[in-house]
Amino acid sequence: MKNEVVAYILKVHPLFLVALGGVLGIDLLTLYSVAPYLAMKQGIWEIVGLFVSAGILMVPYTLLVRNARIIYGIVLTLLFVVVLFGHQSHGARRWIGVGWFQVQPSEFMILALIFFLTATLLRNGKDVHLTPGLFAGSAIATLLPAFLIARQPDLGTAVELTIIFSVYILLKGIPSRVVGISLIGGLAFFPVAWEVLWTHLHEFQKDRIRAFIDPASDPSGMGYHTIQSIVAVGSGGWFGQGLSGATQVRYQFLPGAQTDFVFAVFTEEWGFAGALLFLSLMAYLVWFATRTALECRDPVGFYLASGVSGFFLFGFLINALMVLGVLPVVGVPMPLMSYGGSAMIVSLGSLALLLNIRFYAKR
Amino acid sequence: MALDSRSLKRSLLGTPRARFRGLILLFWAGLSVVVIRLYVVEVIKHKHYLALAQENIVKATPIPPLRGEITDRNGVVLVHNGPEFALFEIPGEVRSSQEIRWVATDLGIPVSRLLRSTRSLGFVLPSHVPIPLLAGLSMAQVGRVNMDLYRLPGFFIQIMPKRIYPDNNLAAHLLGYVGSFTPGDLKRSLYRHLPPGTGVGKSGIEKEYDGWLQGSPGLRRQLVNSHGAMIKSLREKPPGEGRSLRLTIDVRLQSVAERMLGDRRGAVVALDPRNGEVLAMASHPAYSPGELSQAMSTVRWSALVHAQDHPLTNRATQGLYPPGSVFKIVTTMSGLQEGKLDPDKTFQCGGTFRVGSVIFHDWKKGGHGTLRLHRAIEQSCDIFFYTLGMKLGPDAIARVARDFGLGQKTGIDLPAELSGVVPDRAWKKKYLHAPWYPGETPPMAIGQGYLTVTPLEMARLMGAVAMNGQISSPHLRLGKQKTSLSSVGLPVKDFAIVKADLRDVVAAPHGTGHPVNLPFFAIAGKTGTAQVVSNRGPNKDKKRPRADSWFVGFGPFDSPRIVVAVLIENGGDGGDVAGPVAREVFRMYYVIHSTELPSPVAPPTPLLTGGRPL
Repeated sequence: MKNEVVAYILKVHPLFLVALGGVLGIDLLTLYSVAPYLAMKQGIWEIVGLFVSAGILMVPYTLLVRNARIIYGIVLTLLFVVVLFGHQSHGARRWIGVGWFQVQPSEFMILALIFFLTATLLRNGKDVHLTPGLFAGSAIATLLPAFLIARQPDLGTAVELTIIFSVYILLKGIPSRVVGISLIGGLAFFPVAWEVLWTHLHEFQKDRIRAFIDPASDPSGMGYHTIQSIVAVGSGGWFGQGLSGATQVRYQFLPGAQTDFVFAVFTEEWGFAGALLFLSLMAYLVWFATRTALECRDPVGFYLASGVSGFFLFGFLINALMVLGVLPVVGVPMPLMSYGGSAMIVSLGSLALLLNIRFYAKR
Repeated sequence: MALDSRSLKRSLLGTPRARFRGLILLFWAGLSVVVIRLYVVEVIKHKHYLALAQENIVKATPIPPLRGEITDRNGVVLVHNGPEFALFEIPGEVRSSQEIRWVATDLGIPVSRLLRSTRSLGFVLPSHVPIPLLAGLSMAQVGRVNMDLYRLPGFFIQIMPKRIYPDNNLAAHLLGYVGSFTPGDLKRSLYRHLPPGTGVGKSGIEKEYDGWLQGSPGLRRQLVNSHGAMIKSLREKPPGEGRSLRLTIDVRLQSVAERMLGDRRGAVVALDPRNGEVLAMASHPAYSPGELSQAMSTVRWSALVHAQDHPLTNRATQGLYPPGSVFKIVTTMSGLQEGKLDPDKTFQCGGTFRVGSVIFHDWKKGGHGTLRLHRAIEQSCDIFFYTLGMKLGPDAIARVARDFGLGQKTGIDLPAELSGVVPDRAWKKKYLHAPWYPGETPPMAIGQGYLTVTPLEMARLMGAVAMNGQISSPHLRLGKQKTSLSSVGLPVKDFAIVKADLRDVVAAPHGTGHPVNLPFFAIAGKTGTAQVVSNRGPNKDKKRPRADSWFVGFGPFDSPRIVVAVLIENGGDGGDVAGPVAREVFRMYYVIHSTELPSPVAPPTPLLTGGRPL
């Protein structure tokens, strides 16, 4: 079985492997330019991620979906553990682990939720109607972890969970009556919700929203990230400033250069040409994900692949648009690129899941 | 009709797959936005943003703070700062690996020494952060490198503060030294904002109070052009100077202690038993903190680390020694507390003592004859304590030893303090997996066997005896702790008995500690001559190394103000070797404080104020 999987991957998807290897290489190169040790650590995480992926390939996805509630339960418990005993760093409580080995359960919630929603919204592998009960159940299953994660505070991952939920609801389709009622209700409720949300947001989160509305209002303050990011991208030109010429990064004008804004760093260094190459590789991976969903006859595989596609595609789009100043700085990382071990494992794991679906759905 | 409209609605909304196709369409639309926006920003507006990036760069360089000074209790400066030249490299601006070779040639040192610094810090820091290559440049080196700087844009020379130790090696172990921080230090949040090249405490007080002494770096902000040349100097944030630190040490006692130790291996601790203030702490062999604070060659460093006599060890807090006969104080206290020792009962010392088939000898051939507790302590009769120890057993002795703080760290404000070992039955079971043999009790009763202590622990123990059972917490920062003493929980009347005996160890002509006696300052104490099992130090080849010498005592007898503990490795007889060192520390204390002390028996002899070696 093991050899069959390997043979399958090599035979059917060499282009996929090339695209994945390309993105991972670009990631290491960019992080190396920020600081060499980041590249070393990320490299280790990439290897760990590939091992996890290999593990995922060994277990048929149907078996994983059957145990979705257990997986979800474990990750949710870990999230509570983070709330109670989590390790604090840079003012956020996100990590648990021992010594060097720290993981963010919030990232793993992404995969857990994809499994959970797939299992919940299907009955015995068949599509069923979205009843109000089912809707409410999945909404709670999404919002509870999203709330815990937003409080860490990690708005980006919370946003990603809500997006995954929306993708699933979109797939299910909501009767127009429900859409109408929730639209009216939502509009009526919006001021109240906004008020509650606004008072519960952290100051830096509020600043990001304010800055998005008018980035130039205070260049050294709130809009700083956005402006510096655009300047970094803009100074890249056609072919970039090269590894040593990227002054935005070198003089530390761009905070979070290795995490949320790693795409800006790459673009400053490699220019529009480099960015196009990167976008093509990523677009290929997204295309691969969506093809997996559409080609899969099994509804379970379809829903699973759709969830992964949604996560990957929106993570990619939102991060790129955030770096380019089109969307507010919500802290959604670039899949496969942003520095972080847990995010890397989840990105690689979700891609492995696609291969898994392609491989096992055929037999 | 109702049914029809329902199915119509469903078909309009489509199947899940159709809606998923819609989502994919949304993605391609979003991607187009990304590409268009990228093109606009990066290609069309490229010049605009490049100008922004290049012409308005504010370069912020941290200014290293000045470390606080360290003074003794009277304000005498022990460590302060001076300037030195240091060479820095900005890895991101070095164009070829040839450049560092030029620099090495200019400096006249092997390039490998420079590469070591680059590799360790350059690996963890962003490439635009300057890393220190070499500190303490000579004027000649500065001149040569300066002339070459035109072709070395990634290098610069900066004046950096350096630690100056006016008295060279004085209190070296205590003060510790300062060095450039390592990648490991970077993990500690304290160092995260310091510019590389800033001194960081590596040992001793410099390390313990690093946060206090450190200060906060300032920020020099300059408007620079794309070549890094300064256009305009902007508002500058001055560095916050580190706070100065006043120690409990008295330089005069410290130098007497060090002078008296001479070139022998050993340690001296003097402390005030009333509040735990450490008045002097000497350890020999020592190193030069000034030398260690500078960039040092690997050869020299490894010579220090691997030297046979361990010059980097602070013997006062990290040296573990058998306490020898000084420990008889503990055995006595234990005997009195357990009711197994009557101070007035006579005892026959025949010079030997037998446990099973093992025969223990007294240090004095033929024994001491008939004596009571008083003379047993005064002349340090071993047989008396062998017998007492057998009556008590290891557990009772260990209990009192722990009451006196042995076997535990004293909690002094110095890094890497060690604690000795107080063995008992449970200890032996746990660590040696063997039962306690009766033959192991007699050595323990006279401070031998598994028992080990540090000189600091012994000073604290003697302080507790002097204060009738009130034990202090030794510390080095003046006014840091409240002068709180805690009780060891033994009756005051027992202390009165032991203290009277200890007084005669020094005062009585036949007392083992008589060499310590001063006519004008009433000293009490105990000698120790501890057999050494393991070989160490230069006399390794000799079959039987000489015993370690101890003297631990306090004075003045009626109202104790100072405790002195002296240990000399392989010194031989405690009273004759360690005793005079302690005596001169006591004498200096008297000279300093004569006006406050109760009227002396005789005026001090002026010729001894220098404390020449005896």
